[in-house]
Amino acid sequence: MLVWFLPIFLLFLMIGLPVFFALLAAPGIMLWLNGQERDLALLYRNVYNGMDSFPLMAIPFFMLAGEMMNRGGITMRLVEFSQAMVGHFKGGLAQVNILSSMLFAGLSGSAVADTSALGSMLIPAMEKEGYTRRFAAAVTAASSVIGPIIPPSGIMIIYSYVMGESVAALFLAGIVPGVLVGLGLMIVTRIMANSNDFPASRARATWPEKGQASLKAFFPLLTPVIILGGILGGAFTPTEASAVAVAYAFIVAIFMRTMTVGDLPQVLLKAALTSSVVLLLVGAAMAFKTVVSLSHAPEALAAFILTLSENPLILLFLINLLLFIVGMFLDAGPAIIILGPILGPIFTNLGIDPVHFAIIMSVNLTVGLATPPMGLVLFVASSVSGERVESIAKAILPFLAIEIAVIFLITYVPNISLFVPRFFGFVT
Amino acid sequence: DGHAITIRATANSNENDEDYDGLVVFKNYVEQASNGAITVEMFIGTQLCSNGTECLQGIADGTIDVFVSTSGGVSGAFPFVQVLDLPYLMSDDRVAETALANGSTFTTKMQDMVEETSGGAIRLMTIGNTGGWRNFANTQRRVQTPADMEGLKIRTVVADLPQELVKALGASPTPIPWPELFTSFQTGVVEGSKNGITDIMNMKFPDAGLNYVTLDGHAYMGALWFMNNDKFMSMDEDMRRVIVDGFYQLQQATFASPKRKSIQAYEDFQAAGGDLYVPTPDEKAAFKEAAAPVYDWFKANIDGGEDIFNALNEAVADAEETINAAREADLN
Amino acid sequence: MPIMLAVTRALAAVNALVLAIGRFISIGLMGFMVLVILLQVFFRYILNDALPWSEEAARFMMLWMTGLVAPSAYRWGGFVAIEMVPQMLPKRIGALLMLFLLVVAGLVLVVAVQLGWKHVNSGWLFNSSSLKIPMDLFGMKVVRVKLAWMYMSLFVGVILLLSVNVELILRTLAKFADREDELPEIKPLMAVEAE
Ligand code: NA
Ligand code: NA
Repeated sequence: MLVWFLPIFLLFLMIGLPVFFALLAAPGIMLWLNGQERDLALLYRNVYNGMDSFPLMAIPFFMLAGEMMNRGGITMRLVEFSQAMVGHFKGGLAQVNILSSMLFAGLSGSAVADTSALGSMLIPAMEKEGYTRRFAAAVTAASSVIGPIIPPSGIMIIYSYVMGESVAALFLAGIVPGVLVGLGLMIVTRIMANSNDFPASRARATWPEKGQASLKAFFPLLTPVIILGGILGGAFTPTEASAVAVAYAFIVAIFMRTMTVGDLPQVLLKAALTSSVVLLLVGAAMAFKTVVSLSHAPEALAAFILTLSENPLILLFLINLLLFIVGMFLDAGPAIIILGPILGPIFTNLGIDPVHFAIIMSVNLTVGLATPPMGLVLFVASSVSGERVESIAKAILPFLAIEIAVIFLITYVPNISLFVPRFFGFVT
Repeated sequence: DGHAITIRATANSNENDEDYDGLVVFKNYVEQASNGAITVEMFIGTQLCSNGTECLQGIADGTIDVFVSTSGGVSGAFPFVQVLDLPYLMSDDRVAETALANGSTFTTKMQDMVEETSGGAIRLMTIGNTGGWRNFANTQRRVQTPADMEGLKIRTVVADLPQELVKALGASPTPIPWPELFTSFQTGVVEGSKNGITDIMNMKFPDAGLNYVTLDGHAYMGALWFMNNDKFMSMDEDMRRVIVDGFYQLQQATFASPKRKSIQAYEDFQAAGGDLYVPTPDEKAAFKEAAAPVYDWFKANIDGGEDIFNALNEAVADAEETINAAREADLN
Repeated sequence: MPIMLAVTRALAAVNALVLAIGRFISIGLMGFMVLVILLQVFFRYILNDALPWSEEAARFMMLWMTGLVAPSAYRWGGFVAIEMVPQMLPKRIGALLMLFLLVVAGLVLVVAVQLGWKHVNSGWLFNSSSLKIPMDLFGMKVVRVKLAWMYMSLFVGVILLLSVNVELILRTLAKFADREDELPEIKPLMAVEAE
């Protein structure tokens, strides 16, 4: 009886109820119909409990650091640096877009921030060089999913929060997969550039030009090094690292004059607004997860999955399909909170390294951010560019194809994820 | 039938933990002894609530029926339970098991205080064990005397008493969330902790460099089993008797389980090159002396601290007397 | 209808004011959270003397920041939703669906307000583990902070969300009468983007 809340939840989502309310309304209605009034109190309580967590505080802090770096000037320096490196390729500005996303990923934990920061700058610039607007928006959206794969990452903070894996290990594990997604997108772009005759954006930069661009981007690009170095060097915990990242971003932005102290209230407000939405979602998803447990659906699902096959390789394939579909309808954070505790143990028991599984799940759901109907970055790309979501969704298909290919590569070659954390002793 | 009772029990641990062993015994006993009138539903992990404060709140308002916690987990609501963290008050398992038995001066006092502090909402059913004895462990050096603790950054939970204890020994208390502890050892954010050996091995802390354990056994890791009072009192007396006996069975299971589990854990620890040091009686006395300010701190700063401290000491004295008499009788 | 429009206008004005105050406080809380954690790093890493209260204090601020600013995000359309279906429908039918969704959200919030009240009250029983008001500095006894003060953050949050939700329902009703142009527009200071 109780499990009916799952289809009701999907229905609510599809007809447009905000995810936060859908996560509470569906189980709430079923508990009420079932006469489990005391469990409604548990539902409310766990919205609160779900948000009341110190490790989660890294989310608002990384948002804030990203927001400080996100001010025009610093984004511009990253783009100029990318211009100097890859601007002379065929399809130069598209390549610049992708490389900038990879660099921006080191400053920000969010794909949406990436889309709006780089999109507002690069989509008009690409149009000016003759790219179609929908292609420009599609490149922006497709590459912005690298944001939460390369550390820092809001999604991995949530994963570590629900699954108890070390944030540091997940951050390290995301580096190579993030770069791979970037390289994959660059290759696809290169192929498309040949057939569509995309222009190079500029002449090859000279070494002094490259040096100058590097120098200007140096301090912002140091951010991930400080975050990871601080954690690995024993100076601070991941949450503390996120606060240090804020301090560093503040100093860099003030020093480079891309932000004034007068901008501070606005920057703080933006980060507060954005992270409050995420935190409420985390709380609601934690509450939803409680009802999932009460319904004993996880045991049933786990048993069902194991009847399909006991071969981890086949199961991983099926799980990727499941995650991809889930990612289309549900935001990555709530999806991890609800499905992580169900799927994680199944695969760990089959001998898959927990960090490896975390990366499979995170990357897959992150790519889901660029697929309709719940493709947050598609919507942001649409509002930034003025292009319809449907046409961006069509233009993004070749990029999506390579991202899916990379997901399977990550799935079946564990070392892609595990090499770096193993090097630092996080994985045996 | 209309009398079917479901008890929703939760423990924030996993199926390798003593808490789980205890609950399995409880469930089995209660379901059989009640002839199926009572069903025990177990939630092992953090599905319903994820820390002591949250779960205890759930017990208080009846969304959860049974919950087990260490003293640190519920020290916010019941600061006096930290009496169990006071070092070197109980000398060995036999004394602890006797002093903590239901009906002892101490456990009765503790039950009264829990009921009173919670306004009659929460009932302390029994005190078992989880993880054996707490020892100091660190990544830096063998600790033989209190002086060796000097300057070590020791992980504690966010609670007063453990922090006071670590400070009294000259070390530096550092609150770190449990999931970040492994990384924190590895990177040196903290250099030591106070845990039982089974937790140390379950979390693979030696892989993060935690290689020195001093078996000072400073505190018995009491596991406090709480129940929603209304739920308990709403049952008729026969059923209440089944529940009470079920908790006795559970307590005995959790007393025994860590002894069996720690054997393998100690072997594994040493096999991995870990340094296991047993302090001499003199060294242990030196630790006790260094920790003495903590007793005064506890009595002065915790509401009801003096009462519960005296109750424990009295129960320990009684226990030692009973045990000595029994032992004498057995000798001849 | 004129009465309803007047009520909507009044509620919109109240919401605009109260949420502006909430945002103002949230900005401060966000800043202080960072400072407290930086202080924590400084004390532990530089002075080797970890602060016992910083973590909980920062969580306290994070929860209140969320409770006070999330209603602004809701009012400004920042709650994540799949908006395809409502947008595809003709205006009237779309508005009808919107109304239904708002009523569902409203029901969730009404229940949440009731449960939140109970939650807050249960929090008077429990002390925070590390937060105290150091009254001993003034020769009095240290006062431990009750968890109810933390629980109140979400309770206040759902009350404000409910107030916004009522305003949104009234605005949707105005759409049926084609009178929504007579209402003051909601002017977001900035776009809200989750994730
Ligand atoms: Na990132
Ligand atoms: Na999606």
